Amino acid sequence: MNCKDCSEKLDRFVDRELNSTEVLELQLHLESCPDCADQFEFHEHLKRLVRHSCECDAPPVAFRDKLRQLLS
Amino acid sequence: MAESPARTAFAEEALTHLDTLYRGALRLTRDPDQARDLVQDAYLRAIRYQHSYQQGTNMKAWLFAIMRNLFWDRFKGSRKEDVSLDDVGEFVLYEKLRDEGAKPEADVLDKLAASEVVKAVEQLPPLHREVVLLVDVEGFSYKDAAHTLGVPIGTVMSRLHRARQQLQKSLYDYALESGIVRANGSHQVQQ
Repeated sequence: MNCKDCSEKLDRFVDRELNSTEVLELQLHLESCPDCADQFEFHEHLKRLVRHSCECDAPPVAFRDKLRQLLS
Repeated sequence: MAESPARTAFAEEALTHLDTLYRGALRLTRDPDQARDLVQDAYLRAIRYQHSYQQGTNMKAWLFAIMRNLFWDRFKGSRKEDVSLDDVGEFVLYEKLRDEGAKPEADVLDKLAASEVVKAVEQLPPLHREVVLLVDVEGFSYKDAAHTLGVPIGTVMSRLHRARQQLQKSLYDYALESGIVRANGSHQVQQ
């Protein structure tokens, strides 16, 4: 695997969508290529940042109670 | 409608996914009042059509599909810019920052405010925003996201890729505006 192949699998890697063989091939490349390893770590960090940033909002307690009453 | 143990049990299970639905509705509508209305209507529709839910399948995905379908029914015919995405090309934030002399993670990602990240997500057109919400925020697989959105997996992948390009571009623009990085090839560590 070269850097271009690696880059093409970036999205599927951070989304845990690669099969075990692909993950193994990719990890072998990342162990020998600091540039790709840094780039992959960056994109995993970015994904975590998006998740944590968007997870902050919770529904108001009163709204949850209202729904429970409405649906029961 | 008459109360029944089956309906109550179904409602209780459905309500365990309220956080996901509310977050999704809030990001799609960008308005707390509209988000609450959308979520409430989605739950009422879910109760009405609970017979169509197959036990053992992904209830969160089923509920999200109901909610986003209601959203699209409500906002059908909205402005063109809400459904299209400017072509930002292959914008790779990591390479851009590295080329400018910054350490992409330590100097930039760690300094981005959550509110700015949310803003960047909310600026995406809904078709792209909903894929980011499902895959990045809620952790859906491509398969579940495709099923929820009623599109092929390839469409999920391409929308996600383009959405991430746009997100990276927006975050880069914010980093420039706020002085986290400078366009002249240097970076600045904020106090």
